[in-house]
Amino acid sequence: MSVAPQTRLPAVSDYYSETKCIWCDGCGNYGIWTAVKYALVELNLRPWQVCLCYDVGCHGNGSDKIEGYRFHGLHGRVIPFAAGAKLANMKMPVIAFGGDGATFSEGIGHLVHGLRSNYPITFVLHNNANYGLTTGQASSLTWQDQPMNTSPNGIPEHTLASMDFIFSLKPTFVARGFSGDIKLMTRILKAAIRHRGFAFVDMLQACPTYNHFATHEYLLDRYFDANAAGHDPSNLQQAIALATQVQDRIACGVLYQREDVPHFHDRLIPRQGIETTCVEEVRRYDVSEYWKELV
Amino acid sequence: MPRISLKIVGASGQGINSIGAIIAKGLKRSGYCVFGYREYPSLIKGGHASYQMDISNQRIRSTETKVNVLVALNHHGLELNMEELKQGGIVLHVTPGWQFPEQHQKLIAERGLRVIYFPVDDILNRLGARAILSNVLLTAFVWSMLDQDIEVIKSLVGATFVKKKALLELNMRCLDEGYSYVDPEQDPISVALPPPDMGFANHFLLTGSQAMGLGAIHAGVRLYAGYPMTPSSPLLSFIAGLENKTHMVVKQAEDEITAAQIVSGAMYMGTRALTATSGVGFDLMSETLSLNAMIENPTVFVLAQRPGPATGLPTWTAQGGLLQAANCSAGEFARCVIAVSNSQDAFDLMPVAFNLAEQYQISVIVLTDKQIAEALYTQQPYDLEKAQIDRGRLVVDPEKLKFLKSSDRFNPHAEHGVSLRWLPGSEAATYCAQADEHDSMGAVDESCLNTKLQMEKRLRKFHGLKTGLPAPDLYIGGRRAKTTDWMDAGDEIELLAIGWGSTGGVFQDVMCSDELRGRKIAYLHYTYLWPLRTEELRRLAMRSKRIVLVEQNYQGQLGMLIRMECGLDIWDKILKYDGRPFFYDELLVSVMARCASSSKNEGNAPGFEYTGTST
Repeated sequence: MSVAPQTRLPAVSDYYSETKCIWCDGCGNYGIWTAVKYALVELNLRPWQVCLCYDVGCHGNGSDKIEGYRFHGLHGRVIPFAAGAKLANMKMPVIAFGGDGATFSEGIGHLVHGLRSNYPITFVLHNNANYGLTTGQASSLTWQDQPMNTSPNGIPEHTLASMDFIFSLKPTFVARGFSGDIKLMTRILKAAIRHRGFAFVDMLQACPTYNHFATHEYLLDRYFDANAAGHDPSNLQQAIALATQVQDRIACGVLYQREDVPHFHDRLIPRQGIETTCVEEVRRYDVSEYWKELV
Repeated sequence: MPRISLKIVGASGQGINSIGAIIAKGLKRSGYCVFGYREYPSLIKGGHASYQMDISNQRIRSTETKVNVLVALNHHGLELNMEELKQGGIVLHVTPGWQFPEQHQKLIAERGLRVIYFPVDDILNRLGARAILSNVLLTAFVWSMLDQDIEVIKSLVGATFVKKKALLELNMRCLDEGYSYVDPEQDPISVALPPPDMGFANHFLLTGSQAMGLGAIHAGVRLYAGYPMTPSSPLLSFIAGLENKTHMVVKQAEDEITAAQIVSGAMYMGTRALTATSGVGFDLMSETLSLNAMIENPTVFVLAQRPGPATGLPTWTAQGGLLQAANCSAGEFARCVIAVSNSQDAFDLMPVAFNLAEQYQISVIVLTDKQIAEALYTQQPYDLEKAQIDRGRLVVDPEKLKFLKSSDRFNPHAEHGVSLRWLPGSEAATYCAQADEHDSMGAVDESCLNTKLQMEKRLRKFHGLKTGLPAPDLYIGGRRAKTTDWMDAGDEIELLAIGWGSTGGVFQDVMCSDELRGRKIAYLHYTYLWPLRTEELRRLAMRSKRIVLVEQNYQGQLGMLIRMECGLDIWDKILKYDGRPFFYDELLVSVMARCASSSKNEGNAPGFEYTGTST
């Protein structure tokens, strides 16, 4: 890729990659991947102006199928890496992506503290309710009793109530999208990237190869745009109800948002009034002021 | 070299450290070099703890097992530490009516010890002062025994109570009272110190952790993330304590994995960031070490060693982490392991570590240990002009950024394997920092040709690094010598000792002892431990009658690396793995025994078992 002339607005083609997609036919990743590009372009961001951090999983195999400064790391660890990147350069939008396997098992501690810290990043959960890349094992979000690879009799553990869990952590932004509705996902992603603080975006996605319970058709039949139906994202109780009650209909859209809570960096007393970023501040420092008390 | 040792013992939390710190600083301001050493159990209150200072008018870097003065803040000290007194030593205690058991009475007589009871409660009652001031009284009395000017202590104490006038007055009264106290049953007590050298007065008294913290800030570290674990925690506390002045981002992470990942993300973005941990905490960081190798992300990790396995001895010292640092983590990759040895290079090596990390786009592991992290050093002010910030092949010039291609980032044909690096947010072609095997722009590529090229690219750094690292330091008779002068010319070496880290200071003191003055003892001290340079060692070893490895671990880990790299098998080892550092007198005995036998036993030279792999 070469740098696009800056005289025109960014276009989706700026994000084109030479690397071919290798996801299964009908994979939800195609939709999410497309929506991410649309959202970035509609936010007037060029590839060199964004940092995209990917966890391990099928979604992570998208790390080389888009342009932008990207990172593809270790299983479950994307949130702290992305947080470190963001804290080093507050001027850079940082979006982290992770699957339900990594996020609600190996990396669940990072999710807890990411929400608790209210890092100013966007986290997009690629939620296909199983470990796709390792060939269809159950994740914490797989339905109980569902037979899966390594659990032919169905998993004995009960399914983790992910939205109850998220809301117990006092989030400042919770949204849910569906991989079949690119327009809706684009709107959600734009709101998430603009959000002040940790934006949790649950993208329900089809996994045609391994998920035979919450299929594309299943999700398509049940999802609806809650905002279009009049839901006010500042209404916490209603947001919790919509987020957690998914038996009959699945509410999507921006379910909850509050912007009156300072994010992690805003809360750092030493950074108050500092205009520069940690990246810009690297130089040799005179420390003689700090050793006076040691003489 | 004259040396006097003073040890304060008592229960953890009784104020041992505050007395120790004020006397140590007072002595330093009065022209003495002080080396402070603390022992304490892994709990907050109670448990037997000590603060020992070894004092000289010359540079002193070690602790003796025997002391001239024992100050016991409770009777446990009288029970546990009496054996440590030297001939003619002084025991100062505060336990009313203490009866020494028979064996201690015998000891007092044999060694001619003087026992002084300091009636601290009586004096407190008389002054109407609270028990908290007992340490001030005792400090002043110890100070009078050392024949030092009370104004020095008054100015130190005064500085703490600038804004609390009433407290200040009471403290000053206690200082006068303690200083003028005379035991009615004794002649005046005096501990003879050598004449001072006022050159020490403007020095710092600081721990290795503080030195390292200052070095990190000096090196341009702008983000610190850590998870508390002794003995790395004092670094976190020191950096956090300065955050309002340095305006750094400081994050106490939820675990070591997080700390390592935050730091890696911050380094990827382009700042300088640091984390530190110990033993099992570093185990948790090791997957991130591997990650950084694959994405060629410069990072610096401080590994503060304590005895293991597992949680081991949390508040004690060891050098058991060398092989862990050099070998842990998945896959083969180039890394650099360096070890700080004292408060000087705890400072100096921080910019060096970051420069190496950025020059080679690798992880640098900086080893320290509990001894260095918590010992108190008398340190001359640091040179703030010496260090340069070298960011390697980082492209920042907008004109040059324009011409970059994505495939420049991991170009497998880059010289020494070090390709161009540019930061996220730069107006340039973008790339992926890819943990899967990848091509030159970071796209996943599992083809055999690419895999081979990229492996070779990353591991080629090792050769440049190895060639570029400084040689180990050579000391002859306690003085720094040029390695080159001694490799081909010069006399035969009576004893060649090899060590690293905190061993260095003690060994240098041993070489400066009266007992070993004029002996042809050489000490080769390794700071850069991996990749390991063995050229100087091999040539020196050829000309040494006897060679000994000095390490604070069970296996002789540096010896293992030496043998692996050049085939030199050092069979004679002075090893210590009991959680304590090498003590001056104990190491002196071990070295003297070897010098005596090396003059008797000719032809005891070490042999090379096979020609090594290193070139």
